[in-house]
Amino acid sequence: MKILVIDDSAVMRRIHRNILKERGIADQDIIDAEDGQVALEIAAKNTIGLFLVDWNMPRLDGLDFVHRVRAMESYAKTPIIMITSEAARYNVVEAIQAGVTNYVVKPIKGEALIEKIGKYLDA
Amino acid sequence: MQVKYVNPFLNASVRLFRDHLGLRVESGKPFLLQDPQALYEVSGIIGLAGETRGAVVLSFGRETAIRIVSRFAGQEFVALGNEVLDGVGELINIIAGNAKQDLLEFRIQISLPGVITGNSYKIHWPEGVPVVCIPFSCEFGPFSVNVSLKDIA
Repeated sequence: MKILVIDDSAVMRRIHRNILKERGIADQDIIDAEDGQVALEIAAKNTIGLFLVDWNMPRLDGLDFVHRVRAMESYAKTPIIMITSEAARYNVVEAIQAGVTNYVVKPIKGEALIEKIGKYLDA
Repeated sequence: MQVKYVNPFLNASVRLFRDHLGLRVESGKPFLLQDPQALYEVSGIIGLAGETRGAVVLSFGRETAIRIVSRFAGQEFVALGNEVLDGVGELINIIAGNAKQDLLEFRIQISLPGVITGNSYKIHWPEGVPVVCIPFSCEFGPFSVNVSLKDIA
């Protein structure tokens, strides 16, 4: 299963990649994107089984990405985990309404993140 | 600017640096920054917009920035390169985003972070709004979180 990690911070992308690798995900199954626009292009050319997406990004932010990718028939039910610093309740509601499967507030320890997303990795 | 607007940023900073990164962080008493440009060498800035407006700036000395971002990234950095600056941006992003959960009076949008370095840069703070400095110390050196947020009219 391919996992697409979408975050404009290179440090965050590396942190997520390391967490996934520690969980046993092969390096080649983890794809990076620095914004939602790049992620859409990658999603169109690959079969992604899980999206980990930040909210605040340049060009196309995480919320708009979720709207756009959910409109693609092949990703109507693919798990999308939003991992963001946006901790306000209204942000969570907005993200869920857009179609995210689960919402995780940064910062989060590796083991806590795996606990949240483990069931999608094993699916 | 009301004191109650400072606490969410103080609490978010303590959660990040003490609880998440495991640093021995002590916060000092917040004070009005008389010289709004009196910051350390490396600063991450985020603009706040929506039902209020303002800015929040996380400011470190160079070595403190390198060591704290190394802890955050789980990787040892030795110089103030792009990844450290990226990490500073992510840290201020986390503080601002997390503070929103306690700023219940208004809906806020946070900007993308910017990071500036040097000894003589100038921050364009919101005009006419005081800047409150929250000083911190930890084993990697001192740093500060500086908040300027317009009161609700």
